[in-house]
Amino acid sequence: MNMFRILALWCFVLCATAGIQPLQAQPAQTESSLTVVAEPEVEMADTLRQDGKIYVVVVVLLTVLGGMIAYLVALDRKVGRLEKQFKDELVNH
Amino acid sequence: MKNTWWKTLTVLLLVFTVVAGMLSEVPRLAILNETIRNLYFHVPMWFGMILILLVSVIYSIRYLRNPTLKNDVVAYEAAKVGILFGVLGIITGMEWAKFTWGEYWSNDPKQNASAIGLLIYFAYLVLRSSFNEQQQRARISAVYNIFAFAALIPLLFILPRLTDSLHPGNGGNPGFNSYDLDNRLRLVFYPAVLGWTLLGIWIVNVKSRLELLRQRLYEHV
Repeated sequence: MNMFRILALWCFVLCATAGIQPLQAQPAQTESSLTVVAEPEVEMADTLRQDGKIYVVVVVLLTVLGGMIAYLVALDRKVGRLEKQFKDELVNH
Repeated sequence: MKNTWWKTLTVLLLVFTVVAGMLSEVPRLAILNETIRNLYFHVPMWFGMILILLVSVIYSIRYLRNPTLKNDVVAYEAAKVGILFGVLGIITGMEWAKFTWGEYWSNDPKQNASAIGLLIYFAYLVLRSSFNEQQQRARISAVYNIFAFAALIPLLFILPRLTDSLHPGNGGNPGFNSYDLDNRLRLVFYPAVLGWTLLGIWIVNVKSRLELLRQRLYEHV
């Protein structure tokens, strides 16, 4: 089990670094192909971000996500308790 | 909670998805505008669905080789969560399509194919609920589940690519080519896929344990 855990963590780190590396190597490509061609007239939510309002969205999304996950964790714990109770009863009877 | 490390990883990945998904730089593309961020929320539903349905079909095959209650329960719960992901994927896709393609439903080959795929899986639920006898239900629905998964793969990954489609990566283009331009998207997209999929697996885990408890309770009472 411990071996598996280390292996999984290591895989995650590997994938994460593999994801970051192309990001660092990227600017030269973007300059030429993307920003120059597309930037001038494309509308983005720049003002929204300037006003700081996008953070409101992030907070709301995190609240929703947090609520959902808290619910799932509570459910998980409840099932865990039941499992334990059930095992104890099997031993006692 | 047992085995909490991957559940912690799920939470971390999802928090990263929401924060980085909203705040990170994305390519400036006409028509798509900021909706390109849906890549982190709509597409992982489909990737998650496929992976969770793969779990389901693996447990179905395991059931046919070794008919235990656990194999059947996990296959069923995974199929249900996979279907939930698929339904969310189709709804989010319709919402996105309304504002970029102009219509909720434009009979895009991939839209139609995924709708058919979901119908095949709805039939799995109907089929399952039509048996009273547990072993018969488990065995026949396991066989059907294998068929459903085998039908889903060409529907989602092969047939839409043979014709022109509004979806990127279709109509002769290889899968991810349009995103290859930008690795900033990938940096959030892959963690997003992993995070949403793990969330689905977590739900399958809790639901299966609950269902197994319920079944054992019936045995002992």
